[in-house]
Amino acid sequence: MEAQEDSAQALKDCAPYVKFAKLDELLALGRANSLWPLTFGLACCAIEMMAAGASRFDLARFGAEVFRPSPRQADLMIVAGTINKKMAAAVKTLYDQMPEPKWVIAMGNCAISGGPFVFPGQYAVIEGVDKLFPVDVYIPGCPPRPEALIEGLLKLEEKLTGKRRWPIVKAE
Amino acid sequence: MSTNGLQPKIDSAQPASPPAAPAVPPKAALTTGQQSTVTSHQTPVTSDQSSVTSQQPTAPNPPSPVPSPQSPIPNPLAHLSLPFHGVDYAAKGYHVEATVAPDQVVLAAELLDKEGLSLDTITGVDWMAEGQMEVVYDYFHPAKALRVVVRTRIPRDKAEIATIQKVFPGANWHERETHDFFGIRFLGHPNLTPFLLPEDADYHPLRKDFAQ
Amino acid sequence: MIVKEQVRTEMSADGAPRETFVINIGPQHPATHGVLRVKMTMDGEYVVRAEPVCGYIHRMQEKMGENRTYAQFLPNTSRIDYLSAMTYTHAFVGAVERAAKLQVPPRAEYIRVITSELNRISSHLVWWGAFLLDLGGFTPLLYAFDDREKILDLLEGITGSRLTYSYYRIGGLCNDVDDTFIKGTRAFVAQMRPRLKMYRGLVTDNIILRKRLIDIGPISKEMCRKYGATGPVIRGSGIPYDVRRVEPYSVYPEFDFIIPTFQEGDSMSRYLVRMEEMAQSLRIIEQALDKLPAGPVMAEKVPRVLKLPAGDYCYAVEAARGRFAVRIVSDNKEIPYRVKLRTPSLSNLSLFEEASAGMLLPDALALMGSLDLVIPDIDR
Repeated sequence: MEAQEDSAQALKDCAPYVKFAKLDELLALGRANSLWPLTFGLACCAIEMMAAGASRFDLARFGAEVFRPSPRQADLMIVAGTINKKMAAAVKTLYDQMPEPKWVIAMGNCAISGGPFVFPGQYAVIEGVDKLFPVDVYIPGCPPRPEALIEGLLKLEEKLTGKRRWPIVKAE
Repeated sequence: MSTNGLQPKIDSAQPASPPAAPAVPPKAALTTGQQSTVTSHQTPVTSDQSSVTSQQPTAPNPPSPVPSPQSPIPNPLAHLSLPFHGVDYAAKGYHVEATVAPDQVVLAAELLDKEGLSLDTITGVDWMAEGQMEVVYDYFHPAKALRVVVRTRIPRDKAEIATIQKVFPGANWHERETHDFFGIRFLGHPNLTPFLLPEDADYHPLRKDFAQ
Repeated sequence: MIVKEQVRTEMSADGAPRETFVINIGPQHPATHGVLRVKMTMDGEYVVRAEPVCGYIHRMQEKMGENRTYAQFLPNTSRIDYLSAMTYTHAFVGAVERAAKLQVPPRAEYIRVITSELNRISSHLVWWGAFLLDLGGFTPLLYAFDDREKILDLLEGITGSRLTYSYYRIGGLCNDVDDTFIKGTRAFVAQMRPRLKMYRGLVTDNIILRKRLIDIGPISKEMCRKYGATGPVIRGSGIPYDVRRVEPYSVYPEFDFIIPTFQEGDSMSRYLVRMEEMAQSLRIIEQALDKLPAGPVMAEKVPRVLKLPAGDYCYAVEAARGRFAVRIVSDNKEIPYRVKLRTPSLSNLSLFEEASAGMLLPDALALMGSLDLVIPDIDR
């Protein structure tokens, strides 16, 4: 009994210096804070993705500025642009080459549902990247603003960690 | 600055060290005090308004007024053997046009090549109601305002025409694209495989009877 | 993705066996500026043959031209080359206005020139940042995007969009500019000139850049002409061809600007052409702001249902990458019969195969970067 009381007291004493948490939550926090996107800009949305990584909008604040050229080193695929039937095989290969755990953000209308290039008789565009593999976050826009991409990233972090750690910006 | 192995060109002079003042200052700096000196490794040939001859009137308010029917439309290619005729540029956007037979397109390309024109683009138009495909060759001159259009018509069910790839190597890709979209076969083309469509595509989307 | 496809043993010209292999650059690659695949036959580090394979972002723009009315096609024009979206819309509305004989008010023309030149500067800034990224310098990208954000703020204030504006309408503009835009543009021009000077000192005079670009990728005048190359590619080879000067359109004849042209035809020339063009665009913007007339921004009688008379009509503009021309074939209906888009990147890339033979791989990529390609421009 004394040992138990001692250990309870020991826990209280070291509370300011030592934190305990579930390993899952810790890993989720680590992953959410350092998502490494794959450089997968296909079309116009790629420029807004680059602008999000540049100095004004700064993805580095959220740990996601390290764009990896190789899918083997990335855990987030931001599909920014239109997926073509000719390109679909390459996209699927890239997705398969990414190691688990991996996430996908569909950025822009083209990645969500084919965008402005869907019309009766269309022959080249895949209507949405979720026809190829599962998507975690959809960011609408043509192209979405860099702030929208950051919000999508924060939504993904919320999906990973279970809670949103950044304030929601409301329109004034 | 060490020599960079350049073949000395006729007009350019090599400055002795990198940030040297340019030998030809840019034309008329504005009074706003901006400076656009060029620190370059060779003397730039900056062209001013007088060095490029333009046949267009510099009208301040576009579009230019429609010329009266009496004023003659100039035809700078009247001396060539093919039926080139002048076109109202303000209305149509090109200067000279010719409709030729399909076996004359290579001759047209050679004549225009000798005149110094450059290949703009090649495309097709599917006139399904008339049972014909029109192949349109656009050319432009890199030094003066001269845009030439050469047209020809081929039957739709046997859409074949000679390639002009030997005269203008740039036609290689334009013809592949036209083949992709219309199914027109360019005889003599070294590599008539799909260019913009997937490698195994067997459809021609811009034909008017294409239905997905 | 780099995939080694095959290894072949070939005989070279002097009889010694030469082992070549084929690698793929792209379609996903940081240096191809979009989805371009280049099949390179390599002899060690040297390129034997580089064959670009396109079509990975083919978005059926010309087919959509046959399915949309003239007004409905406007958003497509911005997405062909999204970096110089304004100039592409200019070509299309110019072609329709030429065919329909619409008189665009002078104020609209001046604002079109101002916004097109701002667009040209922002496009060249993206090219500059991305080109330096290809060569291995990461910092200029951030400087370039910083300046570009200022332009985008200006254009967002009048158009509502940052990248793919659909600001021009057939007959004029969709809305007028306000004082915020005019003051902001003047302030931007004033602060951009010292920035260009800083870029010259930081990057252009940098010995590493000079060693990487001088004498790399020479393109002769004859090659430019045979392949139809335009824009900074032809101006970097000594031919001062600029559509704004040779086939003047809009109100460009009113402005005093030079066409920077360099003799050597190497990558450094093309680089310097674009840097100089940014300075010249600033001059044009200033003059246009000084001369901006008052008045309406939309033509008076633009029919709601626009039908062009039968025939074909062309309009060419000088986009950031070169000559962009639209050819509309009409059969007197609401929707065009055929819309042909002549894009500069296709002609510029078509000479890559011939120009890159025998080069080192990094030099070939420097050449490709100096051509300034936007792949949806090629594939449409």
